[in-house]
Amino acid sequence: MAGSNEVNLNESKMVVPLNTWVLISNFKLAYNLLRRPDGTFNRHLAEFLDRKVPANAKPVDGVFSFDVVLDRSTSLYIRIYRQAHGEEPQLNIADLEKPVPAEVVPVIVFFHGGSFAHSSANSAIYDALCRRLVGICKAVVVSVNYRRAPENRYPCAYDDGWAALKWVSSRSWLQSKDSKVHIYLAGDSSGGNIVHHVALRAVESDIEVLGNILLNPMFGGLERTDSETRLDGKYFVTTRDRDWYWRAYLPEGEDRDHQACNPFGPKGKSLEGIKFPKSLVVVASLDLTQDWQLAYAKGLEKAGQVVNLLYLEQATIGFYLLPNNNHFYTVMDEINNFVCSDC
Amino acid sequence: MSPYDSATSAGSSSGSSSASSSTKPADIDGLLAGAGYKVRSSDLCHVAQRLERLETAMVNSPVELSQLASSDTVLYNPSDIASWVDSLLSEFNHTPSLPSDLPDLPDVVVGPGINPTVINEADATWTDHDAPQQQQQQNVQSLTIPPNQLTVVTAMEEDSGIRLVHMLMTCADSVQRGEFSLAGSLIEDMQSLLRRVNTTCGIGKVAGYFIDALSRRIFTPQANGLFGGSASGSASAFENELLYHHFYEACPYLKFAHFTANQAILEAFDGHDSVHVIDFNLMHGLQWPALIQALALRPGGPPLLRLTGIGPPSPDGRDSLREIGLRLAELARSVNVRFAFRGVAAQRLEDVKPWMLQVNSKEAVAVNSIMQLHRLLGSDPNRSPPIGIVLGWIRQLNPKIMTVIEHEANHNQPGFMDRFTESLYYYSTMFDSLEACTLQPEKALAEIYIQREICNVVSCEGSARVERHEPLAKWRSRLGQAGFRPLHLGSNAFKQASMLLTLFSAEGYCVEENEGCLTLGWHSRPLISASAWQAVPDANSPLGIVTL
Repeated sequence: MAGSNEVNLNESKMVVPLNTWVLISNFKLAYNLLRRPDGTFNRHLAEFLDRKVPANAKPVDGVFSFDVVLDRSTSLYIRIYRQAHGEEPQLNIADLEKPVPAEVVPVIVFFHGGSFAHSSANSAIYDALCRRLVGICKAVVVSVNYRRAPENRYPCAYDDGWAALKWVSSRSWLQSKDSKVHIYLAGDSSGGNIVHHVALRAVESDIEVLGNILLNPMFGGLERTDSETRLDGKYFVTTRDRDWYWRAYLPEGEDRDHQACNPFGPKGKSLEGIKFPKSLVVVASLDLTQDWQLAYAKGLEKAGQVVNLLYLEQATIGFYLLPNNNHFYTVMDEINNFVCSDC
Repeated sequence: MSPYDSATSAGSSSGSSSASSSTKPADIDGLLAGAGYKVRSSDLCHVAQRLERLETAMVNSPVELSQLASSDTVLYNPSDIASWVDSLLSEFNHTPSLPSDLPDLPDVVVGPGINPTVINEADATWTDHDAPQQQQQQNVQSLTIPPNQLTVVTAMEEDSGIRLVHMLMTCADSVQRGEFSLAGSLIEDMQSLLRRVNTTCGIGKVAGYFIDALSRRIFTPQANGLFGGSASGSASAFENELLYHHFYEACPYLKFAHFTANQAILEAFDGHDSVHVIDFNLMHGLQWPALIQALALRPGGPPLLRLTGIGPPSPDGRDSLREIGLRLAELARSVNVRFAFRGVAAQRLEDVKPWMLQVNSKEAVAVNSIMQLHRLLGSDPNRSPPIGIVLGWIRQLNPKIMTVIEHEANHNQPGFMDRFTESLYYYSTMFDSLEACTLQPEKALAEIYIQREICNVVSCEGSARVERHEPLAKWRSRLGQAGFRPLHLGSNAFKQASMLLTLFSAEGYCVEENEGCLTLGWHSRPLISASAWQAVPDANSPLGIVTL
């Protein structure tokens, strides 16, 4: 009965606070303007609309940040967030890369969401999220400004993630007292997808990733799942827009069973016997792609990997963007336990 | 005492405003503010309704949506969700079947060629108190430009580089505390360390300039006007113009400034037959050929264009202002634009009196200030800074537009250490961006141009220190209190600036939108801001303000 022209807005309004609803709806409608039917993307308008914040080496609520350019040619930079430890209010350049003070300090390499096409490391929503993560986990957070689709398709985002991981693991000032950098990968939406694929690359190297955190990770497949049909258009997201983003990210001519999109699908490979990091997978029950996310968690489990699945009832996409709901606090607690269990 | 002075911890990143209680904003949703959006909590319902209405319109008119998505519709200030959504709504044709219990749309039309001042009426819908008051509140809430924004662009691998920075900081600190002998010996240590560091690029090069500026401050204060005296030392106007021209060529900051200002001026002059541009710093008049040509191509024909160029007097009997004017007149003639030029020679901007500009009541006036207003913030203990007087007479002129380009930096803080640290970051970033330039001698001279700024910020004080850069948030506050309101720069200006940058400059330059203003930066650090303003109508004005 829900025809494509009917707009079911009331349901989403009942499950999120009003300011969250305004925030996510605003994104939704703005994003509608940016995706063109021919697969191109209005990047200028996207950058005009994105609310950005600069880095700030002056601590705000105990957290300061600074940017480091890793690759000029691709504008690959990372934004590093750290806790201020009773320094004077004015931090100078030399203080930014002071060695981490505690016995064990988790370093979370964070990949922002945006379905591979939207947002940046300096987007206000992600800057805020990273700052919260620092405070809650007492971690250093490194947010990666990876290249985006459709201008930069697979595997650019993974390449950039990998470059950032290598950089992080080679910083002596990020080492805990055991002379090792305690690295976790985290990301939401497309960022969650990047976490998986960067962790996969790390497996074949000597870089150890201690854990993966996937928040509403972006996975998919050719098949139309039940959740996609059931929840299409009801909670900010449509299968049409999901399809558009996959078409924009995957190599031309590839379909959604490509292993970037569907790592445990027909073209995927099993992780059995592989030393893959433990995973925390957070799934929102009102996310239409949840069947794919659950299948991902299952795929890890079947391969004998350690996976902690957190399924949130009545949660929509983007619940973690504002700290105004129980799900936010539940998830932050879980993340904190996840990275601190090794402390 | 501006509200910005007290906002030392400019609110938490989660958005709750924790600025001083005297400037607590009226009811802005703190969490949305942290996400970069300004919505009043009491307005949330209303905005939500608007969003629903917009979604319905989008769903019901897919053809219009795709037209909108691919069209050149101009959008303004996405931070103000309410007005942004309304401007989109007005793009869609409404069918009579839409529910009639929704409030009426404000009288706003968006489209190419429409005078941007119309849009700002919509901005006024939620700021229903005094405009300056609201500006003040907005600025305190502005979390997008916190103080001390810092970007380390060069990853510092070299230990020597880090040591240099350490020593620079220690030296600056000892200068602040008056320990000049310690500072002096640190200078010597740093100079010897410099010999072991690559000074052709990166931190070595920038450090070299800062060491130089510090040593001037410590060893030759009088010569550098530390206690008053000539601001630019022995630099002649000719030298300054030359360096400026090369800075213009070597990197896109001034081109961006000119381009963005011209775009806004062009739009402001729409429909006027007699226009007058007042340029606060003519230099070689580099900004104006493009505007003259754009006016020539204007549909309906060009207006009569008067240009008044302000600049320093020429020492040797030459009238360099007039020479520039003649060249511009020549160009105008070649494209059939009626043009008149007037030069106003003044050593300092504050010496200019409005009668010298000979503005007549029938013409539309544009005041153009490229990095000039900050020079008026000077603190001579015997008089109040001239900025107030100058902004006052600009307002009296009732310009159609005032374009303001300024450094996006906080180099006017009272504490020396703060200024030093800020400028070290700022100029490191700027030098880094310059590294991509291969043009010589443009690059070398541009570096000298920048070096002069560094020297002024670091080694000068009092009236000699003219490079008193302040960030956008402060200018918003200042201009708001002086009786100006913003004219928002829109998505068209943004797009054109971005496109020009990709065409003409190295990767890494980046345009951002900041609540109706545009900034140009290097990677993620804004370095230059461009904004446009108009006088708030004043019933008591002797000129009898006419809006539109």
